[in-house]
Amino acid sequence: MDKILRINMGDENGPKTNEGPLGDYAGLGGRGMTSAIISKEVPPLCHPLGKGNKLVIAPGLLSGSHAAQSGRASVGCKSPLTGGIKEANVGGQGAQVLARLGYAAIVLEGKPSDDTLYKVVINKDGVEITPDNSLKMMGNYDLVDKLKEEYGDKVACISIGPAGEMKMAAASIAFTDMEQRPTRHAGRGGVGAVMGAKGVKVIILDDTGMPTRSPKDPEKFKTANKAFVQGLKKHPITGEGLPAFGTNILTNVINEAGALPTHNFKTGRFDGAGNISGETQSEIMKARGGIVAHGCHKGCVIRCSGIYNDKDGNYITKRPEYETVWAHGGNCGIDDMDAIAELDRMDDDYGLDTIEMGATIGVAMEAGLANFGDTQAAINLLKEVGKGTPLGRILGSGAAVTGKVFGVERVPVVKGQALPAYDPRSVQGMGVTYATSTMGADHTAGYAVTANVLNVGGSVDPLKPEGQVELSRNLQIATAAIDATGMCLFIAFAILDQPETFNALVDMIGAFTGQNLTADDVTELGKNILSFERDFNSRAGFTAKDDRLPDFFKAEALPPHNVIFEVKDEDLDQVYNW
Amino acid sequence: MKTEFKNNTITKISLTVTPDRMSLFSSLLGQGFTLKIRTGISVRDLLCRQIGVIDDYLDQRIQTIFLNGKVVDNVDTAVVRQGSSLALSAAMPGLAGAVLRRGGAYAAMRSQISHKNNTGNDSAENGTVMLKLFNLVALELGPLFLKQGIWINGKDLGNFFRRVPDFFWDGCLTAEIDGISQDVRKMSLMEWRQEQIFLKLKTKKETQQQKPYLS
Repeated sequence: MDKILRINMGDENGPKTNEGPLGDYAGLGGRGMTSAIISKEVPPLCHPLGKGNKLVIAPGLLSGSHAAQSGRASVGCKSPLTGGIKEANVGGQGAQVLARLGYAAIVLEGKPSDDTLYKVVINKDGVEITPDNSLKMMGNYDLVDKLKEEYGDKVACISIGPAGEMKMAAASIAFTDMEQRPTRHAGRGGVGAVMGAKGVKVIILDDTGMPTRSPKDPEKFKTANKAFVQGLKKHPITGEGLPAFGTNILTNVINEAGALPTHNFKTGRFDGAGNISGETQSEIMKARGGIVAHGCHKGCVIRCSGIYNDKDGNYITKRPEYETVWAHGGNCGIDDMDAIAELDRMDDDYGLDTIEMGATIGVAMEAGLANFGDTQAAINLLKEVGKGTPLGRILGSGAAVTGKVFGVERVPVVKGQALPAYDPRSVQGMGVTYATSTMGADHTAGYAVTANVLNVGGSVDPLKPEGQVELSRNLQIATAAIDATGMCLFIAFAILDQPETFNALVDMIGAFTGQNLTADDVTELGKNILSFERDFNSRAGFTAKDDRLPDFFKAEALPPHNVIFEVKDEDLDQVYNW
Repeated sequence: MKTEFKNNTITKISLTVTPDRMSLFSSLLGQGFTLKIRTGISVRDLLCRQIGVIDDYLDQRIQTIFLNGKVVDNVDTAVVRQGSSLALSAAMPGLAGAVLRRGGAYAAMRSQISHKNNTGNDSAENGTVMLKLFNLVALELGPLFLKQGIWINGKDLGNFFRRVPDFFWDGCLTAEIDGISQDVRKMSLMEWRQEQIFLKLKTKKETQQQKPYLS
């Protein structure tokens, strides 16, 4: 993984490739790589769909090796949704295969002179780029089926659906999973629109004949990886809860906390939560011959995904995740698990972010385009997006645009990006992260890697109000560092609770790279990434006023606990003061 | 379990199921059921001294507890009063999961919904508590409650019967309503409008394995 592939889609003679060494980007992976390239090479004031923007796809530092949970990729660009820097994180097979092909990043640059659609094939022999307009407006599922016939069932595909081709700000990029289905998505921020603007429908990755990446110290790596896997398997979250119920294990608990945004963030409890909980979902999946515990990429030992079948036992989609179940479920007043699975399938096929679309449909329902709880209306609205009707184009632009068009005041966005599935009035520390993240409202921006383990930013007094700001800062730093490794963020629980598992992770990274990594190094890496991102956003015109939640979170008390967001603006402004 | 349920009114349903059907009741247990129990005591006393959950299970396994929807950090000082709702969960993923953990490093991030002890007349007395069991806790403690019998809302029970997969009924061997034998397949067709129904499960083959979470 010692080279970067650049493809200039705007060359006058057609797409032109260039492979080069890592140069200034040596030692970076995942989010570290994407944010460094975007920050350094993309003019912050460029149009996100113009020639100045770049789309960077980067596997993590450990991707392509035998390290467990190392199959995450980062997709970066200037976001059409937020106008700021974007890193969308994704599972699936793409990161592993891309890393084994030797690439630390693929960078799509320039802008094609016409609307020709291209496919890019990368294998051990090189890169081939060919126009293929027969793929136009094809859904991700049909696209991958077609490519399977041509390239076999071993290749990994990175593709956009119709939403990406239509350059919608809610468009995602699909990565195929182990079954070669387009179920894993770099969802947030409209990265699919940027790929569409580059005229690339799909990147086909074939690592046939390429070896697994080797660590610098194989014995130490093997020992550390074994201890790391044992730690994941013995922990109640990564070893039991997530495999049994998936991430949707959260629905009942967040609902009980009064933090499940319901009916477009009007209340924190949803009466139908029990019908769409992880417990119910797992029973439905088991009864229909689906798979309850399933990885999204090879090397996953947590297996929080699964296979969701219809009543006749036919595949519909992967196990809808908690965020999806919330977005299309409680947020829209829908408690029908089959309908949510269908909406998830449609999102994946059109190539749309499920969080953004669920939030957008919630805003549309608030505007009176449909009633909360009207399942068929939600499906119909999503079909409008897939077809690209005028209404669909509005909805596909996300919750912020939809709110403006229809005159809705309660629009749950930060920096133009929809909030995820936790109401910040109930979990105020989460609100700090939503408000101040460089990405727009993002639930994974500050994750559960404890300050006590990583010693990021020193100890925190939980009794002080400013503790929430400090915790959010520490979590954002730690998360940025984890995103650079290509590790799944769900490892956080095991390293949070089990020091020996954290040590195994540090040993594993050290044995692989040949460097002795310390907690200080992790902190520095995380800070550097955030600094790149913050600097880019600043140059793009973002100021402190963009690090705020919408007013209604401060004005409208959230039932059942009747709480408002109370963190002061001046405290929010301290998050990046380190 | 040490609790005894005095059942003397309303509808009693008794089902005999194969042991592998027990897990299907997890979603029902998450909706909540009523316990007739001593109240005015701490969460620990209620769970461990009254019900019989062992202390280690409470301390190690039950990582997230809600009392009337508020997150409990101290199980020794939070008092469960008459009419309270108590929800129990294993450790949860995500930042939200970490934040909601009792006594966790991120407790400050949800201080607005943390349970705060109110002073009051906390003499122990007979009362009722709504108990909700989630995820792994439902799988592990649920069968014990179901075999002892639980008071459940009729509407929730009706929804459950209508929603269970068809194969559930293959493993539902007998059904009785107020002592009268019923066709098990007809349970999902009946209207259950009662506010409270006493549901008790028997399994055809009892497992002899010692449960590590009950005294």
